[in-house]
Amino acid sequence: MRRLAVALLTLLWLLPVAGLAVTSFRDREAAAETGWWRAPLPETRVTVFHPDPATGRHEAGAWVIEGTAPDTGEVRAFGLSSRAPAAFAVGTTARGRDGLALTVAADGAFRLTVPVLFDQAPRFFLATRAPARFTTANYARLIRAEGFGPAILASFALAVPATVLPLFLAAFAAHALVWIEFPGRALLVAGLVGLMALPLQPALVPLLRAQELLGIGRSFPGIWLAHTGFGLPLAIWVLRSFMRRLPREIVDCARLDGVSEARIFARITLPLCLPGLAGFAVFQFLWIWNDLFIASVFLGGAEIRVLPVWLREIMDSHGGEWEMLAAAAMLSMMVPLAVFLALHRVLLRGLPSGAAR
Amino acid sequence: MSIFRKAVLGAPLCLALLSGLAAAHDLVFPPGEDARFHWAAYEAFAATHDLRGQHLSVDGPWGGIDKQMFESVIAYFEAATGAEVAYAGGDGFEQRLLVGVEAGAPPDVAIIPQPGLAAELARRGHLAPLGAAIGAVMRDDYAAGQSWLDIATFAGPDGAPALYGLFYRVDLKSLVWYVPGNFTDAGYAVPRTFEELQALSDRIVDEGGTPWCIGLGSGPATGWPATDWVEEMMLRLHPPQDYDRWTRGALPFDDPKVIAAIEGFGTIARSAEQVVGGPEGVAATDFRDSPRGLFTLPPRCYMHRQASFIPSFFPAGLKPGRDFDAFYFPAFSAFSGRGQPVLGSGTLATITRDSPAARGFLDFLATPIAHEIWMAQSGFLTPHRGVNHDLYGDPVQERLSEILLGATTFRFDGSDLMPGAIGAGAFWTGMIDYVGGASAKVVAARIRQVWDTLE
Repeated sequence: MRRLAVALLTLLWLLPVAGLAVTSFRDREAAAETGWWRAPLPETRVTVFHPDPATGRHEAGAWVIEGTAPDTGEVRAFGLSSRAPAAFAVGTTARGRDGLALTVAADGAFRLTVPVLFDQAPRFFLATRAPARFTTANYARLIRAEGFGPAILASFALAVPATVLPLFLAAFAAHALVWIEFPGRALLVAGLVGLMALPLQPALVPLLRAQELLGIGRSFPGIWLAHTGFGLPLAIWVLRSFMRRLPREIVDCARLDGVSEARIFARITLPLCLPGLAGFAVFQFLWIWNDLFIASVFLGGAEIRVLPVWLREIMDSHGGEWEMLAAAAMLSMMVPLAVFLALHRVLLRGLPSGAAR
Repeated sequence: MSIFRKAVLGAPLCLALLSGLAAAHDLVFPPGEDARFHWAAYEAFAATHDLRGQHLSVDGPWGGIDKQMFESVIAYFEAATGAEVAYAGGDGFEQRLLVGVEAGAPPDVAIIPQPGLAAELARRGHLAPLGAAIGAVMRDDYAAGQSWLDIATFAGPDGAPALYGLFYRVDLKSLVWYVPGNFTDAGYAVPRTFEELQALSDRIVDEGGTPWCIGLGSGPATGWPATDWVEEMMLRLHPPQDYDRWTRGALPFDDPKVIAAIEGFGTIARSAEQVVGGPEGVAATDFRDSPRGLFTLPPRCYMHRQASFIPSFFPAGLKPGRDFDAFYFPAFSAFSGRGQPVLGSGTLATITRDSPAARGFLDFLATPIAHEIWMAQSGFLTPHRGVNHDLYGDPVQERLSEILLGATTFRFDGSDLMPGAIGAGAFWTGMIDYVGGASAKVVAARIRQVWDTLE
């Protein structure tokens, strides 16, 4: 029963990802016309073809254009009107208005005869059947032309310091809160819990205003500090809970031996807390990596684009192009997915042990 | 510890890489070479504006390809003055601007698409009034100049009206997009009057086709394409004065005239035969996807009413004029005395932080060259009559420009003039309810209620 539930949940999560992945490798026409589950099947496409009038030659009182339509697969049928674009079978001759005649072969070779030729030759239509095609062009376009490179660099430049900074500060704070006796400690912890309940939205504009006064508004240092501030309460809480579980005797013995507090922190607390630290680091990193809101406020107007902001711009400029959106989404998912797969053990071990207390 | 060490080492590396990415922009058209451009005006501007060493930050709604285009225009300003310009631009502009204004750190120049938003900023003292020279350019050189001037004139913090924005780039709305070849195949002619348009729609239905493609989906802004439809109907069914009273709030939203306009839209959008997918399709289709039906084979629909920007969402590789074209969304011949009403919108360049560089940038946007550089590259319409219209890159742009400059009555997109809670809120959602089956009367009364609570 439990296995079934797990399998169902996995399927529920994997299905949309599979859809995104498949769509990201399709071309625009295919993505717009059929569902991704039909991607592996061969498909029939109707395309319009404009013969080049410059290649026309005069022959027996009429103009003849011969040529081969671009290779889009095996031609099944053709037509002269958009209303019936597949009215004629290949090999037959279609006769249209004013003495127009057209023959198309299965390989796309055509012969068009018209009595008069203007600077625009009459168009015709081809119904072709082609095996499913997949392309990496969407990714190539995103990476080369659409600024994916700078965006992913900006995301790292934002997320790494904004993860490390609160983590170290929180480790110091948690160490003091757990192992150093001082008056008002309980009050501090209560205050910490209160801060965790505070929504961050009301703090945004005043914080940004203060940063502008200090000259670090709309810059990396500014947003690092903002993320540090917003992340600290939870980080301290998680690490504090984690440290409380460690045997107190080790710290007491070290103190009796005259080891300084700094060495106790560096040599005992930090190594023992590593699972908790790593767990929280993953957590904080993923949240910063995926954050759009704080990034648009604290880096808005700057010329720096982190991935979620970049992704939103792609949605803006490629709104109807599902294959581009899917490829962009896959690209932005890569790093969180890699981090999670590489560290999921640490995450599973570290976080609950601290957070559950 | 190793993850942390790597992470700490990685950060400066990333920063170093980032700083090397700012690329310099070249001038797309070398100054002085192509005689179709107004280079003399450009040289004159350069001679009178020396802004060397100054920095200017500009923000606006244009992202993607439009951003590249605008940056190619900015490059000429930088070359002429020596100033350095950073254009942020793109989706989320309104939030960025409002947060920036609140935090006391707005950009120097903001390019605002909604006159309503600009009026609000002007009232609160966040915009600097523009000089008489800019006003003269708009009044004398713009087609229907006085109406543009009126739209950009707001009451300041002291209540005195002043000019706060320069219209730079205009979108034309009263357009119907179609595929000329499909019209030829079926033997249809471009309708010249609204009556002919109705007859054509009915004929398409009789012949087993579907005349219209409509999509209202647009993420959080879902519903806005319907507001354009209602505005077009208002301008065609009633005199322009009624339209003005309506957008100001003097004509209540549930007035029979407005209800008639909503129902005019409904005869198309709520009909199972007139529009692809019926009302459900209208409500569920994204506006960017909706024109696709014009280009399928056989065509799913024959006409698509949308503003001049929509070709950027057409399938790739189409040739303007051959594979798609547009005609004026016609007026009723029964009211021919009212001329040809044209609906449009535009972006206002405003000064959000006053400086000689910001003033210089607006002076630059008022020169013909700032318009010509963009229009020679891609979709860009301007009411500026001083620019060389031979520079339009394709026949469709030229046709749009003719419609814009030939307008006898030009009116600005009403939903951008109404208060935000209506024009970017109740009007949108009301239209979705209406397409979903609610009666025009009920919907209009509900929007009026919201408007009444604003006073």
